[in-house]
Amino acid sequence: MIRFGYIIISIAFFLIVCGITSSVPAAPMSRQLQAQAGVERFPPPDFVESGYELPSPTTPHPRQNIYEYVDAVVLLAALGLASYLVLKKRSRRAILTLSVFSLFYFGFWRKGCVCSIGAIQNIVLSIFDRDYAVPFVVVVFFLLPLVFTLFFGRTFCAAVCPLGAVQDLVLLRPVAVPSWLESGLRLFAYAYLGAAVLFAATGSAFIICRYDPFISFFRLSGSLNILVLGGCFLLVGVFIGRPYCRFFCPYGVILRQLSRLSKWRVSITPDDCIKCRLCEDSCPFGAIKVPTAEWPARDYDKSKKRLALLLLLLPILILACAWAVSTASDLMSRTHPTVRLADRIHLEETGKEEETTDASAAFWATGKDVRELYAEASNIQAAVKTGCWLLGGFLGLVIALKLIGHSVRRTRIDYEADRAGCLACGRCFEYCPREHVRLNKDKQAVGDGE
Amino acid sequence: MMAENKREPALHETNGINRRHFLRDSIWGACLAGLGGAAAFLSAKSRSQDTVWQIDPYVCVQCGNCATYCVLEESAVKCVHAYAMCGYCKICFGFFGPEPFDITEAAENQLCPTGAIKRTFVEDPYYEYTIDESLCMGCGKCVKGCNTFGNGSLFLQVRHDRCLNCNECSIAAACPSGAFKRVPADRPYLLKMVEHA
Amino acid sequence: MKPRVAESPAPGRNNDSVEVKTTNQWYQTAFWSAVVSAVFSLIVVGFLMVNYLQIKVFDPVRAERLELLKLKIIDHPDDVLFVQIRKLDLQIRQDRIRRQNFSYRASFLLLGGLAVFVISAKLAVTFKKKPPRPQPYPDRQKEQIRQAIQARSTITVGLAVLGAAVLFFATRPVVDFSEEPPQKGVWPRFRGLGGLGISASTNVPDNWNGSTNEGILWKSKVPLPGHNSPIVWGDRVFLSGADANERQVYCFDALSGKLLWRGNVPNLAPAGAEPVEPGESTGFAAPTMVTDGRRVYAIFATGDVGCFDFSGKTVWARNLGSPDSAYGYASSLAMYRDLLLVQYDQGAAEDEKSKLIALNAFLGHTVWETRRPIPNSWTSPIVIEVSSRHQIITCGDPWVIAYDPNGAELWRADCLGADVAPSPIYAGGLVFAIEPYTKLVAIKPDGRGDVTKTHIVWSNEEGAPDICSPVSNGELIFLLTTDGLLICLQVTDGTKLWEEDLKEDFFASPSLIGDRLYLLSQKGVMFIIEAATEYKELARCELREDCHASPAFVDGRIYIRGTKNLYCIGNLD
Repeated sequence: MIRFGYIIISIAFFLIVCGITSSVPAAPMSRQLQAQAGVERFPPPDFVESGYELPSPTTPHPRQNIYEYVDAVVLLAALGLASYLVLKKRSRRAILTLSVFSLFYFGFWRKGCVCSIGAIQNIVLSIFDRDYAVPFVVVVFFLLPLVFTLFFGRTFCAAVCPLGAVQDLVLLRPVAVPSWLESGLRLFAYAYLGAAVLFAATGSAFIICRYDPFISFFRLSGSLNILVLGGCFLLVGVFIGRPYCRFFCPYGVILRQLSRLSKWRVSITPDDCIKCRLCEDSCPFGAIKVPTAEWPARDYDKSKKRLALLLLLLPILILACAWAVSTASDLMSRTHPTVRLADRIHLEETGKEEETTDASAAFWATGKDVRELYAEASNIQAAVKTGCWLLGGFLGLVIALKLIGHSVRRTRIDYEADRAGCLACGRCFEYCPREHVRLNKDKQAVGDGE
Repeated sequence: MMAENKREPALHETNGINRRHFLRDSIWGACLAGLGGAAAFLSAKSRSQDTVWQIDPYVCVQCGNCATYCVLEESAVKCVHAYAMCGYCKICFGFFGPEPFDITEAAENQLCPTGAIKRTFVEDPYYEYTIDESLCMGCGKCVKGCNTFGNGSLFLQVRHDRCLNCNECSIAAACPSGAFKRVPADRPYLLKMVEHA
Repeated sequence: MKPRVAESPAPGRNNDSVEVKTTNQWYQTAFWSAVVSAVFSLIVVGFLMVNYLQIKVFDPVRAERLELLKLKIIDHPDDVLFVQIRKLDLQIRQDRIRRQNFSYRASFLLLGGLAVFVISAKLAVTFKKKPPRPQPYPDRQKEQIRQAIQARSTITVGLAVLGAAVLFFATRPVVDFSEEPPQKGVWPRFRGLGGLGISASTNVPDNWNGSTNEGILWKSKVPLPGHNSPIVWGDRVFLSGADANERQVYCFDALSGKLLWRGNVPNLAPAGAEPVEPGESTGFAAPTMVTDGRRVYAIFATGDVGCFDFSGKTVWARNLGSPDSAYGYASSLAMYRDLLLVQYDQGAAEDEKSKLIALNAFLGHTVWETRRPIPNSWTSPIVIEVSSRHQIITCGDPWVIAYDPNGAELWRADCLGADVAPSPIYAGGLVFAIEPYTKLVAIKPDGRGDVTKTHIVWSNEEGAPDICSPVSNGELIFLLTTDGLLICLQVTDGTKLWEEDLKEDFFASPSLIGDRLYLLSQKGVMFIIEAATEYKELARCELREDCHASPAFVDGRIYIRGTKNLYCIGNLD
């Protein structure tokens, strides 16, 4: 039986484990500088007359490590505060203020890097690449929102994530996305997550970072493409609430699943709800689910058959999608610079290309054995192929589960805040008359108490 | 789920548990344990220091991408001078290029497109060459000249008072020779060493 | 479900008119400040776009113009042009900084404008927010079913998109790295790949006649003489030739024999240096060239080194100092990765002039140099692999020395003497070195330091060649003296198995192709002998021209350099 006490004990245990393991010394990173024997063509000078003293190159330091930990503390505080504001205080204005702060601190001040969304890639890379040790603060940024979501729902999305904050701020004229479309559009987020994990695991690229639409705003500079992409997202975001969060964010995919399980979250208490229908259109993100009508009886057989068919199709779908994505593995492997280089070298070696590129000329100059390069590239291609099979299988599973989910006849007798999709923004609180009663009661209680 | 014809036992009848909640709570517990395990596992693999980006000057081929690919308008990569390696030559191949018209500081003789290298007379026949970082754009032309014809004392480095330390460095992704490496933040520079035979 | 969250008010719905008025005022303020800030932001965006265009389009054009001007003053240096260049250069520099600064400041302005816009817009929206007015339900049942159907269809569409992507990807070309590039026949240095004089080719010609031209595919005149051997890379054959005034590199087309290009190597010896006079039998172009498939490298008796790419363009050239060599400098070049190895033995041992030099093959500068306690020698170094590490083996009087690829000495053995000309080989796990006329020594190469007493496995002192280098298949080792005595010894212990007097003079080193020995006599006769425990002559082919240089062997071809011509022997098929 899960009781409050057990929760406290598990939290404590979890924290202790974290504390112990984080005091384990980090893997030392050996750095060996190649001492290149004298490329020096001219002898060292002899300064006899002027007494000239050799200056040294300056080495300005990067940001002090202590500030990284400050970021982690601010994250923790923001998450805690957000959870309190969403679940206890239930004030949209306070949540908005906190999200402005998060936008300022995590967005413009920290230039949006490292963010929890991108941290996925660092974690994945550290699992698959022995030479890469993920900085501890990145681990914190990855895990802390997940833990808070397990307890309090998507309060990270509500007021802490800078990308979410900027989209929330520009949302002026919400237009609801029809619910049947939402599910389909969200497929892209699953694909994005899978692809990001694949590319990070094979060491090809960090695509979440590369295609982050809002990063160029946070940095106040960047390539034109990303600026335009960000501008488009913001423009769309004026009308469609949080497009990136709902349909593209790979971290959001993970948060959705954890939020389904969360202990406490924004919810509509069935006993309190009077079914006044005033909150139906309050959520710009379509997270308030309306009670269902009765399903027609004649539909029962048809939907039973459909469900059975889909369940049977599940493994076939997974395999089919796995195979489908694996056909793209050659193209996917080209995101890796080594594979691109090997391809170019191969073209030059077999005489299909005469000229050299910067990269191939640099390779030829090292005098390395071409066969070594090919072996490396083939290994990467093999890894990408395996990854593509897995990615395809994952996508197939997601598609199959979505289809099954839409074939199941759900019966809802109460208004529900969608467990996975509610971003805890708090807009719906003020639409509820019972909430007004509660707030007034509180105010009265405070007033009476004096 | 499908509309159940049976009535589910009310919560008060089952001491507050029902099948669905139990399942959900166990999955919840499993997720929490999983996160705890992940935390332990990742902490063991993690480093306490952050990593920053740096150029290995021995691998760099001076392609010029450092000046154009940085997300900042003014690239965080600048030319750095290892004075101990410099020959202090009157005709510096990083300053003048291979075939200057004249040994003066006139614009047509200088290799640097922004005039960031300053040439100062020290004593005969030695001249000191310093880089003005506010003008340098990290194009690497002087580095190429110095490496090809001189002592190789000029080299490119990421300057950490400017670098944003992006998770994915755009220059690193565009570097043709793979000279960009992640280095621990407390040893953020890969300076060239003196090697007088 | 309704498509809009907030809807317009029913007309006439109002509260206290005073409240409405104040609200209206606030709303108007918010609305207009939103409009103003939006317009402001758009203007700033406009300026930023213009700035961007200037940076990306206009500035490079100007920079090009500057480059053109700089080119112009090479031919016509003119004060007016100088002033123009300086002005333009200054303009470009100043504009660059100015644009950067503008971009930086304008982005802050834009940020500010957008922030004001967002705040005022949000406020405006708040003032206009209408309470919800739930409408009566449409047919919810039908709606539900419709939603479910449409949801399933959308996801199926997603699946279809995946399918379409598959069709697209499946038709793209795939790179297969295991696909071996067409094997080019290569003989890239003196005595072939590895410098051991061996090749596994099985279809090398064994029958030709110089008088009837049977079996001879082509013959091309070589403009300047030289004793260096031809080197081959695919469809290119390279030679060098020199006399007292000129040093040249020649590139022949392997199919037709046409001289494709000739490159000049300048004399870069410091002014006032004494002219080098090599012996007549050595000549100015005795060292054989080397190639790495992208460039060719040549060295001459004057100490001049030249590097050319395959199209004939000079990449670099330099002079290593005039070598003090009694008969004339003759050590051939070797390569290891991007290092060009030059065994520069000179003078007497006590002069300490000899060194092993490693040049960077791409730029020509010296990467490292190691002094050698050796007087002048005429052997060439080889690079071998022992226990996955590479060693550079060199011979001289009296030391056989092995170096690692950074120039550090690995081991040395005191076992040779006299004027050493035969080059070492590595076979059967042993390094073989020759002291002219006297002995053949077998050394195990896994030692460190002075291994004279510990790693010399055997030494056969029944006579040895003075010019030709040995050749071995790992079990048998063959020596060829200048007088024509062919000796076969066992690799394991050095016992002589047989010897045969071929009654001709030999300068070219023997080669082992497949299981046959190819020996080219000074008169141009190729003896083809079975490499076995008993002497067996397979064929003799004449060429009617004097030959000093060792031939080059690739699949189906032999390239022989005579004193005047380069011959290509091939099977006509």
